[in-house]
Amino acid sequence: MEMIIAGLLDSLAPASLLFVFLGVAIGVLIGAIPGINGPMAIALFIPVTYYMSPLTAIGFLVGLNKGAFFGGAVSAVLLRTPGTPEAAATAWDGYPLTQQGKGEKALRMALYSSVAGDFISTLVLILIASPLAAVALFMGPAEIFALISLALTVIAGIGTNSIFRGLMAAGFGILVGLIGTEPVTALPRLTFDIYQFGGGLSLIPVAIGLLAFSEILLQLEKFTVKGGGEHKIHVFSSKLEDRMLSVKEFFANTKTLLRGSLIGIGVGAMPGLGAPVASFMSYDQAMKRSKHKEEFGKGRLEGVAASESANSAVVAASMIPLFVLGIPGNLAVAMLMGAFMIHGMQPGPLMFQENAQFMYGVYGSLLIASLLLLIIGRFGLRFFCKAVNIPAMILYPIVVFTCIMGSYLGQSSMFDVGIMLAFGFIGYYMRKFDYSYVAFLIGFILAPEWERALQQVVIISEYDTYMFLQRPVAMGLMALAIFVIVRTFWIGINKGRKKQQLEAAAAAAGQHKGD
Amino acid sequence: MIIWGIPTYTPKYPGYGASPALVPYVSVGVVMFMACLSLLRIGIASIMNKHIPAEESEFPEDMEDGAGFTQVGRVKLQHLASTMIPCILLVAAIEYIAYIFVSFIFLMIFQYVIGNRKCIQSIVVSVILTAALYIVMRYGFGVPVPGPQFF
Repeated sequence: MEMIIAGLLDSLAPASLLFVFLGVAIGVLIGAIPGINGPMAIALFIPVTYYMSPLTAIGFLVGLNKGAFFGGAVSAVLLRTPGTPEAAATAWDGYPLTQQGKGEKALRMALYSSVAGDFISTLVLILIASPLAAVALFMGPAEIFALISLALTVIAGIGTNSIFRGLMAAGFGILVGLIGTEPVTALPRLTFDIYQFGGGLSLIPVAIGLLAFSEILLQLEKFTVKGGGEHKIHVFSSKLEDRMLSVKEFFANTKTLLRGSLIGIGVGAMPGLGAPVASFMSYDQAMKRSKHKEEFGKGRLEGVAASESANSAVVAASMIPLFVLGIPGNLAVAMLMGAFMIHGMQPGPLMFQENAQFMYGVYGSLLIASLLLLIIGRFGLRFFCKAVNIPAMILYPIVVFTCIMGSYLGQSSMFDVGIMLAFGFIGYYMRKFDYSYVAFLIGFILAPEWERALQQVVIISEYDTYMFLQRPVAMGLMALAIFVIVRTFWIGINKGRKKQQLEAAAAAAGQHKGD
Repeated sequence: MIIWGIPTYTPKYPGYGASPALVPYVSVGVVMFMACLSLLRIGIASIMNKHIPAEESEFPEDMEDGAGFTQVGRVKLQHLASTMIPCILLVAAIEYIAYIFVSFIFLMIFQYVIGNRKCIQSIVVSVILTAALYIVMRYGFGVPVPGPQFF
């Protein structure tokens, strides 16, 4: 109990509050700008947190992530250009509302839904993470090795249409993650006689390069080759009933909000699915259960509530696998995991024993971030709407220069800037050819832990090849990993066959018509 | 990597635990195995005269507009070079020339490359950005800016 109170008091310290506030405000602003998302913002701001205490740093980054999730809705509602992928479903009903002059009302619904989903999800995280972590403590190196293998196979499917490319990217990420000092011999490995590689590649330049710089390279390409185009913002109605969200309107969507939050929690707690899945699933359920199905897509507040509550609920829920098992479920959490490690902590079940006060401080910061999101969103809505108008000509130089200086800031080394540029280049090609940079990054982050677990298994078992057969949980997890791969291949083959059959049927029908 | 990289730059097996080369070999093996499977799939599809859908192809096109932004031949090398070269030059030059000067020039060139022809706007953005990051790094974080320190 003392730990809980001390942790919560830590989160209420002025510096902590200030940085959570800044994190949420910057997150909403960044999320509102089309093309910049939460993980990218975290990658850009991790170097800044070097100079903060661990709790302040994590509070700031968590606030940034939460803010960016809501910020994505701003451009989705106003421009039908989702600032983040998970806000795509929000645009389906949010934009028609904007066309009707009810953009402000839609944004208010999005805000309240986001806060509600996020708050419920945070409460669930607080209630279940610690007891689950206590169970997870019984896991040995064999189970951890099997669990990471499973996580890598599940995550290999994210961000690509082909599991071949996903696994290739994960393998490449692991290989890059192994550069540095080998854990058993403490000798350099894969350093190619470059002394700067001796300590391994730092997460910051790799993440900034892959997430932010490569994205900017692609956006710039579309901007310079295709032309930018100006955004046309619809004007908000001056009528009060079109601007404000009444209590009745809010409570009419309570069921949708709760359902969306539960879907978000369920999806977020499972590694690899991510917020877009949650928001589309929640939208689909809201539409199926609604009495006014025909109004969906034409400007229904229920659609906005469904999408936003679900995608925001994913934020806190996706931390469950991180805190319980030390496995990042999505990219934003992988970046947060990197931040934990930079501040000297290894996320996982042991954190509740070794850093209990800190963990309760993080919980406090998560709750405060939800509250601040409500306040900042409520009073700064009109200001954030202006962020979607920042000209690309000004935005891109700012982001590129921040990428360069952010990479330098980590270790005051221009070598890291070179690494960032190299991974920006690699990331550009990975995105072009549909190789999952998410799988690469998670493979890169998990590689040392995966190898450590393997070394422990080999040493403890004294080279017993059948070690996994003696550990039923590890065996089950490995079987599940194999099942995931086989199932993904099978789905791919079936999808291809069905498509070919449809194409053949369509061609035959066309020929028949011609005759 | 298998023939030269891993054997040359991996410590010898110390006699206990798993070999330091095991995980690198496994990861390269996964990459190679998946690449072989992909090639096999393309080969079989080509022999059987079957078309692999664009979204499942190893070189898928951008499905939004068919402009082929993800196709091999459509990598905009000129764009890539025009964006990357100023950044590489910045990294090379900043160690020898002062941060403020190099950053200002870099930002001016970069804005020109992306098509900003408004001279005043370019100068204002370059000055503000260079100064803002200098102040944040020097006085906010106490980190010296890269390159020679003049003040």
